[in-house]
Amino acid sequence: MASQALQGIKVLDLTHYIAGPYCTKLLADFGADVIKIERPTGDPARNMAPFYHDERNVDNSLIFFYLNTSKQGMTLDLKTPKGQEIFKKLVSECDAVVENYSPRVMPSLGFNFDSLKKINPSLVMISISNFGQTGPYRDYKATDIVEYALGGLMYIFGAYAREPLKHAYNQAQFKAGTNAASAALIALFHSRKTAQGQHVDLSIQESISTALRDVTSNFTYTGAVRRRQPNHSGDLTRLREVSDGYILPNPGMSAGLDWNKVVEFLESSSLDDDKFRTGTARLENAEELGSILDDLFSTKSKLDMFYAAHEQRFIYGVIDSPPEVLDNPQNQYRNRFVELEHPSGGLITFPGAPFKMSKTPWDGLKPPPRLGEHNKSVLSERLGYTDDTVKELISSGVI
Amino acid sequence: MASPLEGLRVVEMGQLIAIPAAMKMMADMGAQVIRLESCRRLESYRTDSLFQNDVTGDFWNKGANFYEQNRNKLGITLDLNHPTGLALLRQLISVSDIFAENFTPRVIKNFQLEYSDLQKLNPDIIMVSSTGYGFDGPWANFGATGPATEGASGLAYSTGYKNGPPVMSEIPYTDYTGAEHTIFAIMAALIHRQTTGDGQFIDVSQTETSTATIPEFLMDYSANKRVSPRNGNEDPSISPQGCYPCMGDDRWIVISITNDEEWASLCIELNNSELTSDTRFSTNEGRMKHKQDIDDLIGRETLQWDNQELMKVLQTAGVPAGAVLDGQELLFNEHLKSRNFYEIVPHHPTTGMPPLPYAGRPWQFSTTPQVEPKAAPIMGEHNKSIFIDLLGYDESILEEWESEGIIGYGPTSPISVRRPSLEEQVRQGRLQRFEPDFLSQVSKFHQDRP
Repeated sequence: MASQALQGIKVLDLTHYIAGPYCTKLLADFGADVIKIERPTGDPARNMAPFYHDERNVDNSLIFFYLNTSKQGMTLDLKTPKGQEIFKKLVSECDAVVENYSPRVMPSLGFNFDSLKKINPSLVMISISNFGQTGPYRDYKATDIVEYALGGLMYIFGAYAREPLKHAYNQAQFKAGTNAASAALIALFHSRKTAQGQHVDLSIQESISTALRDVTSNFTYTGAVRRRQPNHSGDLTRLREVSDGYILPNPGMSAGLDWNKVVEFLESSSLDDDKFRTGTARLENAEELGSILDDLFSTKSKLDMFYAAHEQRFIYGVIDSPPEVLDNPQNQYRNRFVELEHPSGGLITFPGAPFKMSKTPWDGLKPPPRLGEHNKSVLSERLGYTDDTVKELISSGVI
Repeated sequence: MASPLEGLRVVEMGQLIAIPAAMKMMADMGAQVIRLESCRRLESYRTDSLFQNDVTGDFWNKGANFYEQNRNKLGITLDLNHPTGLALLRQLISVSDIFAENFTPRVIKNFQLEYSDLQKLNPDIIMVSSTGYGFDGPWANFGATGPATEGASGLAYSTGYKNGPPVMSEIPYTDYTGAEHTIFAIMAALIHRQTTGDGQFIDVSQTETSTATIPEFLMDYSANKRVSPRNGNEDPSISPQGCYPCMGDDRWIVISITNDEEWASLCIELNNSELTSDTRFSTNEGRMKHKQDIDDLIGRETLQWDNQELMKVLQTAGVPAGAVLDGQELLFNEHLKSRNFYEIVPHHPTTGMPPLPYAGRPWQFSTTPQVEPKAAPIMGEHNKSIFIDLLGYDESILEEWESEGIIGYGPTSPISVRRPSLEEQVRQGRLQRFEPDFLSQVSKFHQDRP
């Protein structure tokens, strides 16, 4: 069997909800040995909708399932002396600790980086937080929408005359989780060479602000402040409704646009007119152009038009719904979705490998741990605790 | 202390964002990234969003988008359609650790730059291809933009105002999602190579990486056959959550209440008796049912406030809230400033551009920091150091190559994009405003750094 890329790397995972768990999921799915430490009541994400077959219980959250594949799970009360002792033992023999508590928590438990470094000098510690470990917003509270607002993506997102908008679901969290996984590997790459560990401070706000292209440079280059764009009806790249959904036309780069090719492709004689032939002319006659295009597109079918466009190398795009994403021929060809048996029986279908690696394939995927599933094996196999000690720990509520 | 990726060499054949943004992060963290450009096929980001909108002179060295994605890289020019150009690229690949590209597979196959070709030059090399839809399969050779992969991944379908069409972000958002996963993928391959000595081929699809970030949506369908409707800024399980108007022109605040305690604090701070006294609103269940009424009441109150001031009041009271920052406010944001998030990057003297602040990274490393920032290369800036110092050619050959069009220092047919004046763009609604004294604001920002 081919080895996995991160085989042999030991990660202690103190994360909950989304950003931290996505980071450690990436590590685990690509072969790292990840022990997820949950508080005795469990990761709150276990209570997050949607649920498998809409049945709400601690093993049925679909997002928890997705975010915690391939991990081992144990419960540990880090507020008890015994729990702290076990945690320190695990720290001494792991390569990385990942946590996403608010910045006050780890120091208050006595686990700031300096104290963990004393236990394990080559330790890499990744701290993911809303606004970073320092600065005036350090203790601000945030959900995904707050990160969109303060990260700078929201102001330019949505309709000109309406309130700013965010993406659906939890993009800021996933973005930060991905960045945290990269940062962890960069730090591990270094510590494996030099035995020198370090602390990485990863901010969710800055994860958004890093990826805005020219939002601040519009200002530093010209003094311009961008805003949500007006949806000019004549814009050639505007999302258009077709008979069976939505399509994204893209006739090519504006500077090199050949209007005759556009007319030919759309097979419309009313577009074959000088009032649309140049960029300036199209702006002047935007309303008329827009209504012609609306009519024209409304009769087309999405995929027919998409394939026809790509034959001409017009890079059209499709807007796909969940059933369409699952059935998409490209996704089918590339096995984009995988199945695993759910703990309560039945197969569960979810997005598989986010990218493909030729030598270290993404396989050996395991379902997420049930609450405390690996308590015994971690304590006895990793730390050499006897059965009696394990029983004691259970009865005292430490695990 | 050295940066963590020092000693690694990357050859980048990238364009726009998906690969360039990822390799910028690698360069920031110490890798030597050699970026290949063509003088015949000018990268469009070089001609776009120009400093002071100046389309004269060597404008191709003044594009904001280019500088945003290519910091800390070395830049060379090569015509790959010339056998010598392609041979030079192969020679570079043979002495590098990573080859990163984001063209369509058709282009890569035409130049015989597939992984199996590269392995003949350098058996342990790591190659990453980032494409819209993946390196193989029926859609492999379809070009894609950010919005197209945002659409194909499923992300766009679920985003938008209630009862409205899908809405896309106004930046190539999914290019970045691809880039972020690409860094992780390369690092995983490097760690595997640390252990085994083996390189490999990484196939990143920008659509697939985005699909990886919306499991809630796709799994609700696969498990429950449910397709959630577009719901604006609402959250499916907590209320209220929304974006509310504040005092001023196009000023907004977001508020997101996750429990009853935060709700109680919000009511106190907004000091609205209808919100406080209405028992329908006292539980999350009730607030979910009466979202519209609550949003109307909150919106009436927030209009009386400055958004940043209200954010501070609410956050001090423990309520998750955030001012919706525009580009200028983001740049000057006190929190990001205290963390030195924007780094001041000097530009090549021939550009006449002053040092400018650019977004840094989402991470801060305690021991091995990023490199001292250098601006993206002007065209052909490092031809000499790469071909002469690294590959060992005699300096006299550069002129010969230049006369044959194999290398160059500017585009063969420069075409700039002329934009309407800023006043006109404000009138068209494409800009919120512009501030003619921006350069003095920016230079003051440099001076004020902690």
